[in-house]
Amino acid sequence: MQASSVEGVAQARPKRNILKLLLLPLVILAGMGLSMEAGLLGPLGEQVGHLWATLSIFGVGSALLFLLLFFSGARKGPALSELPRWQLIGGFLGPIYVVVLTLATPHIGIAMTMIAILSGQVGKSVLIDHFGWFGTARKRVNGERWIALALIVVALVLIARG
Amino acid sequence: MNLILLLVVVVAAGAVLSVQAAINGRLGQTVGVLRSSLVTFGIGALVTALLIFFFEPAHAVSLLDVPKWQLTGALFGVVYMIVMVGAVPVVGTAVATVAVITGQLAMGMLIDNFGWLGNPAIELSGSRIVAMVCLALALVFMYRSNARSE
Repeated sequence: MQASSVEGVAQARPKRNILKLLLLPLVILAGMGLSMEAGLLGPLGEQVGHLWATLSIFGVGSALLFLLLFFSGARKGPALSELPRWQLIGGFLGPIYVVVLTLATPHIGIAMTMIAILSGQVGKSVLIDHFGWFGTARKRVNGERWIALALIVVALVLIARG
Repeated sequence: MNLILLLVVVVAAGAVLSVQAAINGRLGQTVGVLRSSLVTFGIGALVTALLIFFFEPAHAVSLLDVPKWQLTGALFGVVYMIVMVGAVPVVGTAVATVAVITGQLAMGMLIDNFGWLGNPAIELSGSRIVAMVCLALALVFMYRSNARSE
């Protein structure tokens, strides 16, 4: 259910070494995996129902992560029960994304679904900064961000026209 | 479903996803990525199960009937997560983001164009290529704007 995030685009602290070059194809492959996941979800959702397809992602994902954690030994850091409750609500938002993936890919294709998702991410960050939604400080949005938003609207119009 | 409405829903899902990523990022910093992901996936599974229980209509085919390869989607998600945990500190967030989006769109285009994995084949048209170029340019502008504000 993971997806790339445009959020951290500028917090780069690159170390130049050979490892970096070796890892890059791996990261590209990981990105290709995300489209594979979406590609599997669409047809699966049409056969068994969108919610069942979503459950397969979260069920298998939870099981795998649980096993990974169980066998990788003790972890540092606070117990989950000590954390503020609101930090745990991410789990309610994840299924929305996956259900929408299974709904959309059969109609607009995987590449265009991914573009629309990325558009939502970029658009959200620009609008939140501009209007100061969700209690964030209202920041002046510079010209470059408005251009980015405009380009995204053009991309979406192109997708809508097919 | 109406195409425009569908597109609005997908864009909204992207916005929801980035809210989720922000919340999970905070959680990941304190308890580790594996544990924060387990919380997200575990709660996600429970919420979905509840929704199925009360709202999902019956289907002729169940998850147990489809070919097993159709159930491997979650593996790609978990592998992605582990690769990112290892790679981002080395290659940097910006490079990793660009590499992921490149892989995502390239694979998306391949699956669409050839109709792999049982998806309807959608030929790569001029307007689809232009849409991708627009997104690439938008990301360049976002990056320049972010880089300046630091």
